[in-house]
Amino acid sequence: MKRLHLVGWLTAALLVAACGSTGGGGTTTNSYSGKTIKLGAILSLTQAGGVYGPQGRDGMNLAVKQINAAGGVNGAQISLTVKDDASDKAQSAAVAQTLIQQDQVMALLGPTLSNSAVAVHPLAESLKTPILAVSTTGIHIVPDCNFPTTTPCKFVFRDSLGEETAIPANIKAYAADSHPKTGVLLVAQDDKFSSDGGQIVQDNVSANGIQLLKTIKFNKAEADLSPYVTQAVQLKPDVIFITSLGAIPAKIMTGARQQGWQGQFLGGNGFNTATVSKQAAAAGTGARSASAWYLGNTFASNADFVSAYKAEYNVDPDQFSAQGYTAIKVLADSAKRANLTFTDLAGDRDKLRAAMEKVNLASTPLGPFQFTANHDVKQTVWVIAMDGKGGFTLVHEIK
Amino acid sequence: VDQQILNAIFIGSIYALFAVGYTLVFGVLDILNLAHSAVFMLGAAVTYSLVVNHGLPFWVACIVGVAVSALMGLVIEHVCLRPLRRRKAPPIAALITTIGLALIIVAAIEQGKPGSLFAWLWVDGANSVSFPTTAVPNTIWHVGDLTLQASKVVIIPISIALMLVLGYVIRFTQVGRGLRAVAENPRAARLMGLDVDRMISLTLVLSSALGGLAGILFGAALGDISPYIGRDSVEVRGLAVIVLGGMGSIAGAVVGGYLLGLIEVLAIVALGSNARGGVAFAALFLMLVLRPQGLFGAQLREKI
Repeated sequence: MKRLHLVGWLTAALLVAACGSTGGGGTTTNSYSGKTIKLGAILSLTQAGGVYGPQGRDGMNLAVKQINAAGGVNGAQISLTVKDDASDKAQSAAVAQTLIQQDQVMALLGPTLSNSAVAVHPLAESLKTPILAVSTTGIHIVPDCNFPTTTPCKFVFRDSLGEETAIPANIKAYAADSHPKTGVLLVAQDDKFSSDGGQIVQDNVSANGIQLLKTIKFNKAEADLSPYVTQAVQLKPDVIFITSLGAIPAKIMTGARQQGWQGQFLGGNGFNTATVSKQAAAAGTGARSASAWYLGNTFASNADFVSAYKAEYNVDPDQFSAQGYTAIKVLADSAKRANLTFTDLAGDRDKLRAAMEKVNLASTPLGPFQFTANHDVKQTVWVIAMDGKGGFTLVHEIK
Repeated sequence: VDQQILNAIFIGSIYALFAVGYTLVFGVLDILNLAHSAVFMLGAAVTYSLVVNHGLPFWVACIVGVAVSALMGLVIEHVCLRPLRRRKAPPIAALITTIGLALIIVAAIEQGKPGSLFAWLWVDGANSVSFPTTAVPNTIWHVGDLTLQASKVVIIPISIALMLVLGYVIRFTQVGRGLRAVAENPRAARLMGLDVDRMISLTLVLSSALGGLAGILFGAALGDISPYIGRDSVEVRGLAVIVLGGMGSIAGAVVGGYLLGLIEVLAIVALGSNARGGVAFAALFLMLVLRPQGLFGAQLREKI
């Protein structure tokens, strides 16, 4: 009899426990099922940032497709609206406003360029909509999106490795390997991404024993960079630093090699896409940058991502695809835990924000993923070099 | 500095070739054809596409590229200019229609991605691409401290030869006399039995062929072909060149092109990189104040 009692109690306890999990989940499942979690992405699909935006979009769409096919987020489907900002700051802000107010998205992703983030992030912050930066690497992105005001922005997050981490890591690794003495910095002065990167280079060279001979400034839309390259090469530096993006790095590399310069190219995030490596071709061989992601990483979450991406789009993903893909996973995981109501949009946006702060994913293509207290990404840094054939090789792994 | 002077001559040749086409239309029609920069880009894009995506030899692709550009000249005339002329619209209207056509051409190229409507024309979207060295050999010579690239060196004789031929045609041939007559007074030319519309079409074909060729040479020499090369690199500069040289003057456009290239490069060397655009446009401003007709604009009676 006693035994039966015990079994009865145990069964009851198990039932309660089960209800505790599925019961809690039960209510969430009910409120989630059949609903749609609306997300909006502001990406640069055309103009200067058009080299990076489309891959980000493809990574995001792949993640959305996988999550929805696997039953969605507690039964809710994700719908992602991608809008092009044409790499233009004003258009980027206008698109963000439409997504927040007209399309009533729960959260935003993007924008592609740091230059546009300056306009978009403060807007999202003031309209209390969570925004996850997927490729912006400049300074003052998180937490001080309203720089020079230093109040932390509550709604702005970033899953892309900042240049403040990546560039110093890259310089330090190369200095330790080859002990260069002199360098020249080429920087696009009218581009926030490039000038921020240039600032970081200037701040980090002397600590690594490198004397910066000259900083050569140009404008990002100039097609003929030969006068600047000639200036740089004539100074005969050991290293040429390039912090620009788009077609500029490849042009500088080709020009400098043609003029017979043999030194080392070091750069930033602008190097980290196959397009740039392909454009630079042989001239880019050995050019190093620190990256948030490396194609050749064989851990399961990356290998699976790479093969799914290849199956879907018939090309290799790049860092921007990986960051876009990870961003959707981060938002889906947060939405799952946020107990969304789907009736009170403002309340849901705040709940999602709170859940994002606690994200802790063991496996993403970027490796284990968490946000720091400043809403910045916490991850491994991969130092990679162009292989001269449109790809990259891994040089160092910095935990 | 020697290498820098070479840099100036190379870029100056491209400015000159581009501006000659620009100024030709202005000389005949008294309007600015703002689609000229889009034709410049189209020439480069079509040639690239034929070489890389359709496997044609570079020389054949160049000829087709120039031909497509010339055809685009006819499109400009028939879509943007002739209908307005028929309605006696003010010149500003042509400015707007040509800007519109330029935007459409750039947007069409920009949309060209694998699987898209324009994939046969361009597959690289907003990306900047360059000719593969296997298809377009680019020999490099080192002479002393100087680096000479074949793709840049060829620009100079090609530009000069073309400009001489054009100068000869306009000055000494029947067609040239016709063009000059239309430039002088279209109405009188018509009364003399000239087919003015045909002369104008011819002007646009010539101008656009030169623009397209300038684009091809630019793409090959600078390793930069994208939907934006016309707009970003030559559109405003071309305008500066023809003002510098004298609106409508071919010799002026040639001299103005080399002058602008030289001013820009010297500004970078002497004053630092920030000065490139500023100094060039300061020179332009000075020219407008001191000599509004430009270097070669003295004989206002004869425009081209």
